[in-house]
Amino acid sequence: MGEIFLKAFEALWQVLAAGIILGAGLPALFALGIKALGAGRTLAADGTSYTTPATGTGRAGSTILFAICVAAVMFGIFLVVATGFGIKVFGS
Amino acid sequence: MTEALFILAIVVITALAFDFTNGFHDTANAMATSIATGALKPKTAVLLAAALNLVGAFLSIQVALTVSNKIIHIQGANGAPVPELMGVPILTIIFAGLVGGILWNIATWLLGLPSSSSHALFGGLIGSAIAALGLDGVKWDGVVSSVILPAFFSPVVAGLVAALGTFVVFKITAAVATGPREKGFRWGQIGSASLVALAHGTNDAQKTMGVITLALIAYGSWTNLESIPLWVKVACAVAIASGTYIGGWRVIRTLGKGLVEISSPQGMAAEFASAAVILSSSHLGMALSTTHVATGSILGSGVGRPGATVRWAVAGRMAIAWIITLPAAAVVGAICWAIAHGVGGALGTGIVFAILVVSASLMFRHSRKTKIDPNNVNEEWDGGLHPKSATSSESKTPVSV
Repeated sequence: MGEIFLKAFEALWQVLAAGIILGAGLPALFALGIKALGAGRTLAADGTSYTTPATGTGRAGSTILFAICVAAVMFGIFLVVATGFGIKVFGS
Repeated sequence: MTEALFILAIVVITALAFDFTNGFHDTANAMATSIATGALKPKTAVLLAAALNLVGAFLSIQVALTVSNKIIHIQGANGAPVPELMGVPILTIIFAGLVGGILWNIATWLLGLPSSSSHALFGGLIGSAIAALGLDGVKWDGVVSSVILPAFFSPVVAGLVAALGTFVVFKITAAVATGPREKGFRWGQIGSASLVALAHGTNDAQKTMGVITLALIAYGSWTNLESIPLWVKVACAVAIASGTYIGGWRVIRTLGKGLVEISSPQGMAAEFASAAVILSSSHLGMALSTTHVATGSILGSGVGRPGATVRWAVAGRMAIAWIITLPAAAVVGAICWAIAHGVGGALGTGIVFAILVVSASLMFRHSRKTKIDPNNVNEEWDGGLHPKSATSSESKTPVSV
């Protein structure tokens, strides 16, 4: 029984690590992209919208950050397919 | 038609029915948050999830015979049925197990509780195996390592990740205009939810494919242990996708509106957390229940947002449902096996099948009393599952003059 717990914990911390890096890291990158889009813009008085258009650097920065997120989702799709066809991408 | 062929046909129909309930029970896992925040219209969300489940079901060639082999002793090391159980005995065990799984799935759907379809299936199979073979019929080590332990850990892990993600996201975007923020995160939500739906099709359709293939081998019409007949693949893919499309609106409502008041940044963090945990664990060969992960993530997204409403009473009800899923489905599975085996033959199987059809229809009829559908799924959560518009409809009946 002890062995079972040990094995489960071993897999578990890997899942937790991957979860934190991808599952919390990507939303953070996405949030940075949203923030970049609003950089250097004037907020409306009620805080719901902007009164000035997005700046060039803001657009460029957010595009890069969103692109990373899209790439990560693509990698996710690749991982689903790879797992389905029995290919190991990482892990032992 | 011989007796065994009749039973095989019933097993295949029942397995596809299980796959269907698996689909509609689990639509919520991927789409509840997107529906709740309005990132996707309810009908669009279920259509997207159904399409991705359909595609996902074909994205795997892994041998699914190991699914049942992990928990009960009806197969040898290579996945082939134990010789002395070939034919009717194994078919009866599988059949009774499936009935236990389906009835539990429909009962929890009626109550709007997200409970794991895999656990329902495992529970049913464990119950019928105990009834048929005694306690030795179950591989208890396997049950602990691949069913019980993950069930305790996966919602916690997913919840931690989602809470952290939500906290960071709100921190970063604190100064962003609320309108563009809400809108921007909806896109992230759709992307991550789609990933969960795809992974669901790949993981869950497999289980039914394995069960049907095992039945075909037990009957003797299929001998290849390494592959699944194409028609089984197609039938399972269509069954899970159509179930997903029908959409378990009751479960969607609980997950999207009941557990946490959800905004699109939370929804995105929750779905990314679910996707990351599901994909990494299944890649490591530890298949977690999508339901446990998704529920943990949504709960976590409520915990991670300061000042958010988290309804712990709803979470508590879910936790209780999870704990009793396995034994409840097992009891039904055991009773069904006893009836099917006791009466024996085609008649016994037929009686159990009739019980399944009658109880499923009764529960469905009961659900119509407080109908939850795409139109009222997002209504304000007012102390319980049933939306006001559904419960008050009787009193609104126009008085005839």
